[in-house]
Amino acid sequence: MSAHKAAEKSGSPTIRLLAGLAITLTAVVIYSGYTIAQLRGLKQLQEATMERNRKDSLLLLRIQNNLNSLAVAMRDMVDGSEGYPLIAWEGQFRRIRADLDGALRREQEYAPGDPTSGQRNYLMGSVAQFWDAVGRLFALGRAGKEKEARVLIRLSLEARQEALSTAVARLLVLNNETEQEATRRTEEIYARVERNVYLFVSSMLVLILLTSLYLVEYNRRVFRQVAELSQRRSELAQQLISIQESTLRSVSRELHDDFGQVLTATGAMLQRTAKYVLPAAALRDLREVQEIVQKSLDKVRSLSRALHPVVLEEIGLESALEQYLDSFEKRTGLRIRYEKNGPGRELERKVSIQLYRVMQEALNNVAKHSKASEAVVRLQYLEAATVLEIEDDGIGFPGRNKIGMGLISMRERAELANGNVEFSSGKKGALVRVTIPAGECAPVGDHAPVGDHA
Amino acid sequence: MTRRSFLQAAGPAAPLCAATSKAASSLWGAALPPGGAGFRLVDVTSQAGIFFHHNTGAFGAKYLPETLGSGCAFLDFDGDGWLDILLVNGMDWPGHKRQRSTLHLYRNNRNRSFTDVTERAGLAIEMYGMGIAVGDYNNDGFPDLYLTACGQSRLFENTGKGHFIDVTEKSGLGGRSGFSTSALWFDYDRDGLLDLVVCNYVKWSPEDDVFCSVDGERKSYCTPEAYHGSTCWLFHNRGNGAFEDVTARSGIFDASSKSLGVAMLDYDGDGWLDLFIANDTQPNKLYRNLRNGKFEEVAVHEGVAFSDDGRARAGMGVDAADFDNSGRMSIAVTNFDNEMMALYKQGRDGIFSDAAGVTGIGTASRTRLGFGCAFGDLDLDGNLDLVAVNGHIDETVRHIRGNTGYAQAPLLFLNDGKGRFRDVAAPVGEGFAEPKVARGLAYGDFDRDGDLDLLITTNNGPAFLYRNDLTNGNRSLRIRLVGKKSNRDAIGAVVRVSTSEGTQSRMVKTGSSYLSQSELALTFGLGRRARADRMVIAWPSGENQEFKNVAAGSYECLEGFSIAAK
Repeated sequence: MSAHKAAEKSGSPTIRLLAGLAITLTAVVIYSGYTIAQLRGLKQLQEATMERNRKDSLLLLRIQNNLNSLAVAMRDMVDGSEGYPLIAWEGQFRRIRADLDGALRREQEYAPGDPTSGQRNYLMGSVAQFWDAVGRLFALGRAGKEKEARVLIRLSLEARQEALSTAVARLLVLNNETEQEATRRTEEIYARVERNVYLFVSSMLVLILLTSLYLVEYNRRVFRQVAELSQRRSELAQQLISIQESTLRSVSRELHDDFGQVLTATGAMLQRTAKYVLPAAALRDLREVQEIVQKSLDKVRSLSRALHPVVLEEIGLESALEQYLDSFEKRTGLRIRYEKNGPGRELERKVSIQLYRVMQEALNNVAKHSKASEAVVRLQYLEAATVLEIEDDGIGFPGRNKIGMGLISMRERAELANGNVEFSSGKKGALVRVTIPAGECAPVGDHAPVGDHA
Repeated sequence: MTRRSFLQAAGPAAPLCAATSKAASSLWGAALPPGGAGFRLVDVTSQAGIFFHHNTGAFGAKYLPETLGSGCAFLDFDGDGWLDILLVNGMDWPGHKRQRSTLHLYRNNRNRSFTDVTERAGLAIEMYGMGIAVGDYNNDGFPDLYLTACGQSRLFENTGKGHFIDVTEKSGLGGRSGFSTSALWFDYDRDGLLDLVVCNYVKWSPEDDVFCSVDGERKSYCTPEAYHGSTCWLFHNRGNGAFEDVTARSGIFDASSKSLGVAMLDYDGDGWLDLFIANDTQPNKLYRNLRNGKFEEVAVHEGVAFSDDGRARAGMGVDAADFDNSGRMSIAVTNFDNEMMALYKQGRDGIFSDAAGVTGIGTASRTRLGFGCAFGDLDLDGNLDLVAVNGHIDETVRHIRGNTGYAQAPLLFLNDGKGRFRDVAAPVGEGFAEPKVARGLAYGDFDRDGDLDLLITTNNGPAFLYRNDLTNGNRSLRIRLVGKKSNRDAIGAVVRVSTSEGTQSRMVKTGSSYLSQSELALTFGLGRRARADRMVIAWPSGENQEFKNVAAGSYECLEGFSIAAK
């Protein structure tokens, strides 16, 4: 009883489990959000600095390349080996300028930090001055002043180009430093995220472990309680059956012994009385009384036998079965076939009485519910067990879940005899099979009679 | 059953699968059925009487020009309707004279053999020749020659009487020395007179030669990075036999270029000829014709300056043609080994992108150092195939590179008409796939059997003439155009031939390939068809002519007149 109370007291774990689940899910959501935010921050950092930086460096290299092309062109112009007037280079300069302007414009977009910083202002200013000088150069070229134009290249343009090159190189170095800084910060964030992931995973593992342990312990307790309850219920049922059996047996004995003897004595006395010369009417009455007493005696015996089949103890299970089946057939009109297989063996009293009772219950069910016309009772003595089967050709067991008291008592009785009972629908109709392990069957000759013989 | 479903069906039996697919691929690679390419290329060089050996003049100083020559041409110099052959030659360097070597001109005997007529033609002149451009610049009906050279390039006028006279000085093309490579004739201003484009490589002379070395001790040939670039030239034909240098004025001037190949094309379809120039280690150039005598350089914008990963490659030879019968011209460029060939194809937006990878050309050309290249319908199936000849520049290359040789096999890519090319150089036979140190490549139908034969020159080696023997029974429609209002060679004319399969378009062009010139007649493959549904000629003058139901065969068309079988 105490286990049952404990179960009630501890209540269902559902609410606690749901709460645990909610906590876990919340933790996962919060943590995922946190991680995503961290990673997004990282991505932004990468985009904002590293990616921009990379693109900026590429553009600076493109600018550097253009500046180199300008240097090569100016060298060709100064050495005069092409044999064309300087103005011929105008197209080449225009193409380089278009690309350089485009690159510079895009470089402004990607430039890390302040695009109006000193270095960049200097670069833009220098570029503007350079193109001014180029404009002057081609103006001189158009005016046919080739010599002055070449001097302009040597004195002004080449120096400006070099200064521009240096400025771009400085920006590249700056980019490199920014990139290193960004890399360091990225690594920091990665380390933090990694640490947090480990922390989260381990706390989740602990949480899951605790929940599992709690569930295991709770289940174990519940199973223990269920087992205890089941045991108790079974004991109670079996006690009930035992009490019922012993009560019926004593009532049966009372009927058989006391009433039987009284009625037998009464019958004998009436017989004796009949030997006296009596008027015909009295004799007729006497015979009538004699018949009534005989009928009462038969009834008492039959009732006694029904309440407790003494025959079991007197003539054994098999004969008792046969006797019962005869009377059952007569009583119900159901055709019963009896089959016996295997070498017979004596059964313990508690075993045979339970088998007998199961047979009774099963046949009663057949008669009441099965709508069968025929039933088979098979008693098989196997090496390892004694098996009793009752099969009919009726409608079978109705609902799988509808187990009536009859079936429960059959199971309890089988368990009382340390066996088990199976209910199934056979080829046609219902099949009840009781199996009692051979260990529970006493060898022949070891039979201790129970109860008094009539 | 597809390959995928086959592999899936085979399931976990991986080794079996691997073996099967390997077997299948080797079958695919080697065993075309006999005549599977549809034609055979037969080496008929000596049979045709061509005994030529290219002289680089090499004596150990490893001068840069020695690695690059020389070119060849199919031309009909005597106007008899049979293609003659010109092979450009180098010469010994001054101070290291051992032999006399000149270019060679072979006249077609009309019986599949040739006669060397160099002396008689007045061309037995020693020069360090590189390339050749053939065009009738004075519209007299006889093709004239522009021979590029390391030094002074020369213009030879065809007198029409079987010989040539040097008009370099008279025409105003004299007095300029350069390392000139490919050249082409085209009428960029549509005045009916052929103008001249000349590519220059780098600023080099024996005096300015730079010492380069692979092993740090012995001299080896330099790469172009060692030298300054040099501008290409554009000469405008004044019509009085003289030319005017319009390099600077037209916007062609670019002293950074190191040009080897040049092709004419009309990439924007406006009827005005544009120019593509393949540069070695420098970005390629695409000059768009602004229709006012000026050009605008648009290679970067149009996507043909660099490889797809943005590198300037070592462009050598180039050809432009409508290989996918889309009506738009694509550009093929041969490059250094490990750079792959380029096949710049126009997208819907008109911007080019390199389709070498997806068409199968890229992988096959990866280990080759390509020079001459040309689109031509060798199997006459109506789809332009692509030939590229290869060969390294440095004999010592076999010691320094693992996957490439000095002599290399040519590539002959058959176009399947579905956007894929397959190399069939080996199966077409007769030693065509024998490794060569090839440079020049030209095509032409020298035996007048309706298909394209191939002419290949090698560096410091013989020339090769391959006769095309068709085995697939395909027919062709060949047409030679004669301009009246347009320039007489009709250079720049576009002919479109339609069949139920689609429309092929070809341009009459000079230049292309490398240092070489192919025939001016156009060849259209008709497959097994007996006739084409329609032929439209768009003349450079702007005139259009249309002909319906044209039977396979060889024709000539005088501008404004009907076509005549020839």
